[in-house]
Amino acid sequence: MGALASIAGFEFRQRFKRISTHVYFLVFAALAALWMAAAGGAFASANIVFGADKVNINSPYALSQTIGILGFFAVTVIAAVMGRAVQQDFEYQSFHFFFTSPIHKRDYYLGRFVGAFLVLVYVVLGIAFGVLVGVHWPGVDASRVGPWSLRAFAQPYLVVLLPNVLILGGAFFGLAALTRRMLPVYVGSVIVLIGYLTALRLIADIDNRTIAALLDPVGQVATGLVARYWTVADRNTRFVPLAGDLLMNRAVWLAVGLAIFGFCYWRFSMSQAMEGKRAKRDAAANAVATQRVREVAIPASRLDLTTGAYLRELPAIVLLHVRETVKNVYFMVIVLAGALFVLSNSKVVGSMFGTNTYPVTYQVLDFVSGTFALFMLVVTAFYAGELVWRERDARVAQLTDSLPAPTWLEFAAKLMALFAIQALLQVVVMACGLLVQVINGYTHFEIDQYLYRLFAMQLPEYWMVAALAFFIHVAVNQKYLGHFLVVLYYIVVSTAAGFGFDHNLYLYGSVPTVIYSDMNRYGHFLPAVRWFQAYWGAWAILLLAAARVLWVRGVDTQWRVRLRGAVSRASHLSTAVAAIAVVAIFALGAFIFYNTNVLNPYRTQFAQQELQAQYEKSYKALENMPQPKIVTTTVAVDIFPHEHRVRFSGRYKLVNKTPSPIREVYVNVQEQAHIAKLASSIAWKEVESRPELAWHRFALDKPLEAGAAMTLDFDVDYAARGFTNGGADPTVVDNGTFVNNILMPRIGYIDFFELQQDRDRAKHGLKPRLRMPDLDDAAARNRNYISSDGDWIDFDTTVSTDADQVALAPGYLQKEWTEGGRRHFHYVMDRPILNFYAFLSARYSVKKDVWHPGAENVPIEIYYQPGHEYDLQRMVDGVKDSLDYYTKNFSPYQHHQVRILEFPRYQAFAQSFPNTIPFSEGIGFIAKVDDKDPKDLDYPYYVTAHEVGHQWWAHQAIGADVQGVTMLSETLAQYSALMVMKHKYGDAKMKRFLRYELDNYLRSRGAERQRELPLYRNENQPYIHYRKGSLAMYEFQDAIGEENVNRALASFLKKVAFQEPPYTTSRELLAEFRAVTPPDYQYLITDLFETITLFENRAVEASAKDAGNGMWDVTLKVSAKKLRADETGVQNEVPMDDWVDIGVLDADDNPLSLERRKVKSGESTYAIRVKGKPAKAGIDPINKLIDRRPEDNVTTVKY
Amino acid sequence: MQLTIQGMCKRYANGVQALDNVSLTVSQGMFGLLGPNGAGKSTLMRTLATLQEADSGSARLDDIDVLREKDRVRGMLGYLPQDFGVYPKVTAQDMLDHFARLKGISNGRERKAVVDALLERTNLSGVRKQKLGGFSGGMRQRFGIAQALIGNPKLIIVDEPTAGLDPEERVRFHNLLAGIGRDAIVILSTHIVDDVADLCPNFAVISKGRVLLAGEPRGAVEALRGRIWRRAIPRETLEAAQERLPIISTRLQSGETVVRAYAEAPPEPGFESVEPDLEDVYFSAVAGHLAVPMRAAA
Repeated sequence: MGALASIAGFEFRQRFKRISTHVYFLVFAALAALWMAAAGGAFASANIVFGADKVNINSPYALSQTIGILGFFAVTVIAAVMGRAVQQDFEYQSFHFFFTSPIHKRDYYLGRFVGAFLVLVYVVLGIAFGVLVGVHWPGVDASRVGPWSLRAFAQPYLVVLLPNVLILGGAFFGLAALTRRMLPVYVGSVIVLIGYLTALRLIADIDNRTIAALLDPVGQVATGLVARYWTVADRNTRFVPLAGDLLMNRAVWLAVGLAIFGFCYWRFSMSQAMEGKRAKRDAAANAVATQRVREVAIPASRLDLTTGAYLRELPAIVLLHVRETVKNVYFMVIVLAGALFVLSNSKVVGSMFGTNTYPVTYQVLDFVSGTFALFMLVVTAFYAGELVWRERDARVAQLTDSLPAPTWLEFAAKLMALFAIQALLQVVVMACGLLVQVINGYTHFEIDQYLYRLFAMQLPEYWMVAALAFFIHVAVNQKYLGHFLVVLYYIVVSTAAGFGFDHNLYLYGSVPTVIYSDMNRYGHFLPAVRWFQAYWGAWAILLLAAARVLWVRGVDTQWRVRLRGAVSRASHLSTAVAAIAVVAIFALGAFIFYNTNVLNPYRTQFAQQELQAQYEKSYKALENMPQPKIVTTTVAVDIFPHEHRVRFSGRYKLVNKTPSPIREVYVNVQEQAHIAKLASSIAWKEVESRPELAWHRFALDKPLEAGAAMTLDFDVDYAARGFTNGGADPTVVDNGTFVNNILMPRIGYIDFFELQQDRDRAKHGLKPRLRMPDLDDAAARNRNYISSDGDWIDFDTTVSTDADQVALAPGYLQKEWTEGGRRHFHYVMDRPILNFYAFLSARYSVKKDVWHPGAENVPIEIYYQPGHEYDLQRMVDGVKDSLDYYTKNFSPYQHHQVRILEFPRYQAFAQSFPNTIPFSEGIGFIAKVDDKDPKDLDYPYYVTAHEVGHQWWAHQAIGADVQGVTMLSETLAQYSALMVMKHKYGDAKMKRFLRYELDNYLRSRGAERQRELPLYRNENQPYIHYRKGSLAMYEFQDAIGEENVNRALASFLKKVAFQEPPYTTSRELLAEFRAVTPPDYQYLITDLFETITLFENRAVEASAKDAGNGMWDVTLKVSAKKLRADETGVQNEVPMDDWVDIGVLDADDNPLSLERRKVKSGESTYAIRVKGKPAKAGIDPINKLIDRRPEDNVTTVKY
Repeated sequence: MQLTIQGMCKRYANGVQALDNVSLTVSQGMFGLLGPNGAGKSTLMRTLATLQEADSGSARLDDIDVLREKDRVRGMLGYLPQDFGVYPKVTAQDMLDHFARLKGISNGRERKAVVDALLERTNLSGVRKQKLGGFSGGMRQRFGIAQALIGNPKLIIVDEPTAGLDPEERVRFHNLLAGIGRDAIVILSTHIVDDVADLCPNFAVISKGRVLLAGEPRGAVEALRGRIWRRAIPRETLEAAQERLPIISTRLQSGETVVRAYAEAPPEPGFESVEPDLEDVYFSAVAGHLAVPMRAAA
């Protein structure tokens, strides 16, 4: 044991003396400190959250996240330290000394391991140190720091991070000991990464959660799973328990780590280490011993030392380096691992609701190259080091360095080899992509898209990273430090935006993102990308020129000598190249800056929010000043797809609907607009103009009296000017323009410009506010939540576009003509609509159908991108079934046409305008729904039904701009779609759909940044109005009957449809609900809509006796508990006396009996007689109620 | 062709003065650089081989400034470092071919001829297709000389090439070296006196970064005639004798301790005069008895 301790001590001491150890410590400390400080609000622009703003930054949950996530980066350090602990003895041949001295294998092996382990403990403690520093950072909001708890620190270390050091460290150490090389260790860390990524991917599907939790070697996914439904209150007070999935994960991986460590220990032999090589050598030596000595004349040879000659040698040398890299078994392992990962996930490309999309090329490319991007970075960082160090590692550097080959030759050869390796990986990506498509039976191969994306767009960017990695390795001239710095670069670049540093001009290699769309391809987004690429390309060249002169040739490595050498080595060529690069950097940088910061405003998120705050501070006082409302809009919209320009010229008719005269009119026009005309029928004067706030205040020469009308003529023009830091202006695109009336002048104070998050508001000196006006705010009831400056308007528009495109807007086509090479469409709406409309233009194909031909005769038209025919019929069916259901149960359809219009996937939503439904190509046009697969959801049908539902729930009944209003639109549209789906697909499919809704709701409420509210007061919170809305409405109709709910809705519509202000609210809807709900179900309204109510229901035990004739008597004991949560998730139990499903299921989960029974709090027992053999029984067995542990609602029936 | 080194100095960051005002003139043929471990031989070799900078001084190869015009030097240089590795998975032939490319033999046919001849010359043609990782020390050293000979170098630097070779390999290696020293400057650094005695018409002794002696081996030996004395002494008196007497070397002969001393006259009774050999020259020089470089003897 003494020897073990002294070896461990030696390893620890000599590591501890090295700078690199402390660099690791400090880097982790710095990351943690910055992270904490950012989360605590020290940096105005930073954006790191642990869920709600009320989650303390030092809460157990936050610390577990911080330590877990930063600890994940430690994998590379674990690999380096553990691997080197044993591999260095082989590299430096010092194993001879150790292996021949009288130390036991155990002492050597365990001693080194323990020493390295202790070093790593020190390194990862840097995170805790950084946390403590970060919390005291100046500017951290003291209210965000809660009480300290040692356990909050200790637990993530003891449960996650230190076991990881042990598990991964043990495995890496063993690998290095057995193979005597570092590469297998790095491959090992890549495999860890794959495990983690696979787990992350699997977790999206709720059926795979346990597998996902097990698959993640670092326990991060399992931790997330255990805490997935935690509310703010939970996050602040609870410790992540070592239980369930997390316990299983830790146990399994500890076992795996131990097994690998043990196996390697068993196989490791100190004597073999020497014998292996010796034997081989002797054989070779003997082979020569018999050779004769001979004098041979060496033929004369011409040495051609010219540049030209060496240039001709370049390809062969590049090839040599590439071959050396690629034929390496570990390179193969990395590539294969990536390919296997991709192929094993190939079946779940583009999954939504557990349903796949067709593997169209852009999806597959996103997926495959997204996956390989990480491999690419790993391979680039690693092989940059290997290539730079190859000669020195093999100790042939002294041979090659004294050869007359110019330094540039070796330099260029290695760089190009690295480039070639990256290109080769892209070839692998392409092969994987094609394979994924073939596996899925998809044969529309777009080779050109592959080639362009992989080789013309991504590869140059990878080359820039390669250049940087190359430069780093040359400059620091310490391989492991070099690797670490490259990884650090990745971390910095990928997190900088979170700290408010997001300008692509200073983040090396950053370019704006481009989204490929089948409709618009890369559109006009490419040039900005190319400019940035050129700019960073120039940087890359400068770095390479620097690397070229800093290149170490010979044995001098001191900076003094290297710098002196660099000056003398700077040839005319490299100086010239560097000079050109510098000039290019300045020129391109200036050009880009001109585009991003001069032609267009560049604002960080913080600066943008500051404008919003200023708007509010300056004009909030005017919010309730009388303003005229729009009653008629007549507008000509000229879309110039290829000029990326759109012009709106037209006339509003404005009416003073208030009782007082109006003396000033506030007109909002977006900052980017060029305003050619703003003219009123009453003479006015612009008395205030703040274009950056979109604000123009006009004083009328004579007041607009109550009830009087005026007109506003406008002509505003939006033209893309150059490009922004985010890329080109996406307003008007070559194919698939989708703009709405936000670009047109708006009247009055617009409250949706206000900052919503309390935290953002605090940063800009604003008090917290409700995200919507209070439910009982009388003034707010004068405006609807879609538009504050218009109620119901008459609408007439003429839209023009290029001759080959179709332009669309709400209304009915009156006339279409071509004039001057442009196509014009005149649409008129035959009845008043909300002040909410959109204009679209694209090269469309059209699918046509008719609903109820001969009777209502409503044409259905789907305008789609040719090639996207897959789901058109589902959409048509969705429209028809929706119209059937809604007209039968709610009210007649107010329009006589339904159009669905595809738009590019830059945004992923569908939206309902009057008789017009823009629908993103990303969410339904390429869905691959397998009707035979019970797991697949027909979401194109569902989304269609939801949007058609909005023709009632928004476009007939619109609520006031107050809390709970989205319950009237989104929740009811969701309910409508659920009913349409239920009738088509049955209860079983709905159950599956609702499981996703429940999971989404429970997860999202934990991430609520301000406060969770009951449905009827929700402040436009999607997880409440969609997800909880689905659950609540489904339970409601299940309990009181679908027809009763529909009766209430029809009555509600009758009262409020097309009403003028004051607008309706959720209170009036709840009154309708109460009217149709039997007395003993009235509690449901309170539970579902007026409060946050959750259940902790559980089946305790169940047994069955044979009652003869195939009948069984089941005795079931259940436990029930009803809880009310406040806005942060603190729960209090309330007495329960509810109608809850008590059910018995057969082996296939089909209910044998399912009946609502009165269930009281606590345990109760039920006797049920069923026909057929029962397998499971329980309370609320098909999860209609909101329960954070739905899986324990049933139990297996015992006999 | 002549290599002239003038006042070359090099001090390492850790304070070691590796070269201390080294001046040497080396002409065509084999030149032995003799010195104990750590004398600065390798520093000098690496500096001449363009792998290291000197702090001061100069080195000229005819009209070439060796320290500045590195590319020109490399074009006529063959270098076999003291300690070098190989790519273990590459064959001897491929590796030589790669070096030949880097050396500037761009014509494929010529390159093949040179590589074949060198393999033949160094007795490696039988293992040309074998991976270098399996080579013995002697084979590796021969491979090293083969690569150094690519492209008819005019300046060949071999640093401690025979260290660690068995006697048979050493002889074979000497033969190899003897054959190349005719029309080039060959600098052979070694701590083994026999290497110089066997091979070098000229040599220098270097210790602690200084040149102690330079000249022809025969002349140097001749100059010592009558100054080397020998005697067998009891082992336990050795230490006292070393303090008292100008002893330059000690060796065991048939179990007896025999010391040799440098002196104008018998240092003590019992010493007998012996015929000096090159080893005596070396040890006398290292012991500091030949403080003034014996340039005259050259």
